[in-house]
Amino acid sequence: MSLHLSREKDIVIVEIEGQLIVSNRQELKQRVLDEAEGGARKILVDFARTGYIDSAGLGVLVSLAKRLRELGGDIRLANLNDDLQTLFELTKLDTLFQIADSRERALETF
Amino acid sequence: MSDLGTALGAFSEAYGCGAVLWTQGAPGAVLEVAATSGGDVTPPEGFARIEVGEIITRETALGQQLVTRLPGRTRAWLGLGPVADDDPEPRRWLRVLVPVLGEMLQSRWEASHAADELMERYEEINLLYSISEILGRTVTLEEAARTILLEVSDTVGADYGALLVHDASAGLLRPVTTLRAENAPPAVPIPIDDPIAVASRVFRTRHALLVNAGVLESSFEAPFRSGAMLSVPILWTTPEGGIPLGVVSLSGRRSGDNFTAGDEKLVSAVGSQIGTAIQNARLVRATLDQQRLESEMRLAHDLQMKLLPSGDVVAPEAICAVRVEPAEGVGGDFYNLFRLGNGRTGVLVGDVSSHGYRAALIMALVMSATAIHAQTTADPAETVAALLATLEEELRETEMFLSLCYAVVDREQRTLRWTNTGHPHAFVIGADGVASRLEATDPPLGLGGDQLHAASRPWDPATDLLALFTDGVSDARNARGESLGEAAVIDVLRARRRELPSRIVDGVFALVEGHLGRAKPHDDQAVVVLRHA
Repeated sequence: MSLHLSREKDIVIVEIEGQLIVSNRQELKQRVLDEAEGGARKILVDFARTGYIDSAGLGVLVSLAKRLRELGGDIRLANLNDDLQTLFELTKLDTLFQIADSRERALETF
Repeated sequence: MSDLGTALGAFSEAYGCGAVLWTQGAPGAVLEVAATSGGDVTPPEGFARIEVGEIITRETALGQQLVTRLPGRTRAWLGLGPVADDDPEPRRWLRVLVPVLGEMLQSRWEASHAADELMERYEEINLLYSISEILGRTVTLEEAARTILLEVSDTVGADYGALLVHDASAGLLRPVTTLRAENAPPAVPIPIDDPIAVASRVFRTRHALLVNAGVLESSFEAPFRSGAMLSVPILWTTPEGGIPLGVVSLSGRRSGDNFTAGDEKLVSAVGSQIGTAIQNARLVRATLDQQRLESEMRLAHDLQMKLLPSGDVVAPEAICAVRVEPAEGVGGDFYNLFRLGNGRTGVLVGDVSSHGYRAALIMALVMSATAIHAQTTADPAETVAALLATLEEELRETEMFLSLCYAVVDREQRTLRWTNTGHPHAFVIGADGVASRLEATDPPLGLGGDQLHAASRPWDPATDLLALFTDGVSDARNARGESLGEAAVIDVLRARRRELPSRIVDGVFALVEGHLGRAKPHDDQAVVVLRHA
């Protein structure tokens, strides 16, 4: 997995390339927490180039969402492929995250 | 000095004149007769003032004697006599004899010095050999430190010293052993950033330091310092360079002299040996810790497996087969089975959102809590709500969440009720081979919601098959990173739906193992299959 962070106004965009799994979830968590430490409150995770997320990967997204909401912010998701969309639906996690079809759409509504 | 005696004897025989050779061991010492072939052997007065090349004449009981000083490192004087007052020949003989004897004395001095040096080298080699032996037969530096320090200090002639090892977590040089005066206070750890302490400087610069008395005197080193100090780094040498692990400091030189470059070289060599020993000891300790951890992990795995019930616990109401394969010793996947009375059977499958010890502890809590709560109600939502109440704090503290599906199959009422907190892989396979998913009723436990729901569907005890598995099964990845996929697992379930549950579970794991090949599973795998007939 590789992470690419960029910023659009007050929104930090995190692109995840590859798989988000148990062995690399901490890297995502630390990078996002570092941004939050620096004052960021709006995080958009772009999954356009993400092939797979395991249960530990889901866990870190949930953990980050809880942390950001405690800080008065939020984490939102965009560009999930069909498999990932199904995963979020089957696990009911789609009820906990705002998920947009595209990055542009997510940025508009954040 | 038989060679000198022989030379003087030959001279006297040839020229008929006696000769005496005096030497002095050190400035101020009395003259000793090193060799003689005749003449007055009484040391000449004022001999120390005689310059090399100067010839004086003195009166002795045996007559006149010519005396001169010999050149070279050996302090030596030559006397010829008795000689006649007006005879110039003895002065000529003296000028011939002086360089010859000077050369002989120089050779003698060099031979003697070479022997001393050889002895010193021998002592040094012996020291290094001894330290190799000491380090070779001990596991921890602490056991050998005192012996090493004693050997090194003895070889370089130092009464005091310390062996200090770096404590990285505290930023200190901790004395492992010290040689100090009886009334000196115990040595205390020295901060590595102390600006004065010699040991701290040596540790920081990785270079040995020779300091004279009065220079860089630090209270930290007072317990083991007296006068000059030699301090060398303990280095572990790697291809990238030396990594400092500690410092050896020596002081209290018995001779009162400063330490020499030779001492520094020798103690530096010892420091390298100690560094290698420290690193080896650390590696041994790390290996032992790893072995202990692996042993504990095996024990934890065995304990975890013992928490999981056999499929037989729901007999005779139902036929059930189960299997769990943790990815790392202990895992987060689990299942539980309950006989609930009145023909009802409870089946629980879940996955803690992590691996390792913490996930295993949550899993153990789930196992014990569900065993209690399942017996109080046949409503799956109530059971899972009670489980959540038990686990809520633990899940919050550990930032984990729990996806599970708890299904209650009622043979009499021919219904199946379930509560599913985000567990994707729960199916009923009907007689026609259609796989119906038991959809999630709620998000995973631990995400904040406490209102749990239940869903219901018909259950045909004669033909329906309940199959639950975790994502480690459907997401098993081969060496090329290709996922097995849920559909492939369902195909096996459908194809084997009329077989015994144990055969069906075997079939699923055969599929997983075939797909994995030589790749190691990255996630826990659990499969539960239940039927009534």
